[in-house]
Amino acid sequence: MPSANPFPLERGQLLQAYRTMRTIREFEERLHVDFGRGDIPGFVHLYAGEEAAATGIMMHLGDGDRIASTHRGHGHCIAKGVDVVEMMKEIYGRKGGACNGKGGSMHIADLSKGMMGANGILGAGAPLVCGAAVAAKFRKKGEVAISFVGDGASNQGMFLESLNLAAVWNLPAIFVVENNGYAESTSRDYGVAVDSYVDRAAGFGLPGVTVDGTDFFAVYEAAGEIIKRAREGGGPALLECKMIRFYGHFEGDAQTYRGPGELDDIRANQDCLKKFAAAVTGAGVIAQTELNAVDKEAQSLIERAVKEAKAAPLPTAADLTTDVYVSY
Amino acid sequence: MASRTPTIGIIANPASARDIRRVVANANNLQTADRVNIVLRVLTALASQGVEHVLMMPDKSGVRALLARALKREHNLQHRFPRVEFLDLEPTSTVEDTFQAARMMQAAHVSAIVVLGGDGTHRAVVRECSDIPIAGLSTGTNNAFPEMREPTITALAVALYANGRIAPAEALVPNKLLEVAITGHAGRGQKQPAVRRDVALVDAVISTERFTGARALWRPESLAAVYLTFADPQAIGLSAIGGLLQPLGRRDPGGLALQLSEDPQQRRLMVNAPIAPGLVRAVGIAHMEPMVAGRPFVVTQEAGVVALDGERELAFDGADRVTITLREDAFPTVDVARCMQVAARDGLFRLPSRSH
Repeated sequence: MPSANPFPLERGQLLQAYRTMRTIREFEERLHVDFGRGDIPGFVHLYAGEEAAATGIMMHLGDGDRIASTHRGHGHCIAKGVDVVEMMKEIYGRKGGACNGKGGSMHIADLSKGMMGANGILGAGAPLVCGAAVAAKFRKKGEVAISFVGDGASNQGMFLESLNLAAVWNLPAIFVVENNGYAESTSRDYGVAVDSYVDRAAGFGLPGVTVDGTDFFAVYEAAGEIIKRAREGGGPALLECKMIRFYGHFEGDAQTYRGPGELDDIRANQDCLKKFAAAVTGAGVIAQTELNAVDKEAQSLIERAVKEAKAAPLPTAADLTTDVYVSY
Repeated sequence: MASRTPTIGIIANPASARDIRRVVANANNLQTADRVNIVLRVLTALASQGVEHVLMMPDKSGVRALLARALKREHNLQHRFPRVEFLDLEPTSTVEDTFQAARMMQAAHVSAIVVLGGDGTHRAVVRECSDIPIAGLSTGTNNAFPEMREPTITALAVALYANGRIAPAEALVPNKLLEVAITGHAGRGQKQPAVRRDVALVDAVISTERFTGARALWRPESLAAVYLTFADPQAIGLSAIGGLLQPLGRRDPGGLALQLSEDPQQRRLMVNAPIAPGLVRAVGIAHMEPMVAGRPFVVTQEAGVVALDGERELAFDGADRVTITLREDAFPTVDVARCMQVAARDGLFRLPSRSH
């Protein structure tokens, strides 16, 4: 029986993909618990269940490639390499956080990693990415810029304007629609006039591709082609990842809009981590014990992040007026 | 003869023409609104021939929602349509929806199924329901199986067959398919080895890639073998490799098997073939032979993926035995061209020239 690795990634990269997805999952599951206890200020929107999309895309990117995230941005941050302890501190509103505890969950940014920020304004990442893509075009280093939006935010005018601008200027901009089926609590069947995001891209002359966003390898392969094309001057494209979220729109959402048994079904049958683990262990490339070790590693990291976050001081009144303007 | 009050099934795959080939090869994108327009034209044509009931596959990707809006509009305009009933299935937005819809339409005894999709969608319908005639409408990326034709005409032919105005002997035509069987080792506690079975309508291709990933096939270097039910020189897709070397009609007996190789020592000839829309690539041929119906071909590659009608579906490795068998007279399709010729011959569309 051939033991050759059938996947388009080396063993170490496969383990890294799993580590990233598992870290995101642990991060979000822990926030679910800690937010419910009242430990965390503000709002959190969890990415659990959607890990394959962020990971499959970000594995093609370097620090020079920029992304603009959404209100559901923790997964994008982790996959883009933002420090997990700094993220946790930020969400806990503590000094030493990614934005010194003044931004919270929806404003985590780390420009050194090409992470331009989560964003509480729906669809607002798309025009930012057009700017980053213009810069990348001028720099001529083959960098790309990627905007993530949800299915609901893709109805925003600025998203559609961005598709137009990116097409007109042939920008190395990629628009990822993370289609989890619900705009907050509104089913896309109700709230979206033409329910294909690929159609929207076609309306502006951009190629669009739909993939199963719960299948890491499907996302990885499609994203790889789209990103390569953009790096080589092929211009913008849209990638629709059909996916599911394990939790509500926000923590505290009673999810009365879900169908009966829907949550049980997606946990049992559409868990991207389970699919990934089954694929790599089934092919004999990675042993379950190795994945278990990664699980423990991720748990320890999150445990440490929470401990350090809780121990970190809160910002003071004097911090209120710092970081307001940045000198370039 | 079919019932005089026939029900027609419509399976409109909302996900066809959405894959990576739009990026790597500028393949077409048929917008959801156009898919719905096609369904509306089919409904109009069916209504004109007295079909009153249509069963449709539901989806969560826009076809149902957009069609519901369009039907309301058409109702306001007092346009005549059959009653459209959606199957009672919960869409998963995967090929399972097509499988289940085909089974449910079979159970509901529809007279025929109109299929909107590419080769992959038609495969999915036939896999689950090979005894009900299908009529294909080409709305996918790679369309070798469904013929390019205005949907209004296809629907008229379907209605003529379904309401019994053209007999099955003239309206229907048999088709070939490829049966794929992958036999693994018996697992612990199992007496019989597990067997995975599937079908292909045009091509079963062995790719050296071993993961399904983005599913489409577009890298010629990954192609190891191609098995074909027919090989039309003007077809698009992997069947063109055979079609440009040894054409074989879809009604001719037999199939065609080709072993491919990029190795100059092994390949005997090269062909430049349109292996996907927008992709013309050089392919090396090591061996080519006819397939006789019923004789299994054993796949010699040790590991890879079997792609069925252009999509990576079944991964296998050295523990598996993969066979591919051609079957003739495997499933019926509505022969639209012949139906319309018969309609002309028998005056089925003629109206009285003056009222009495």
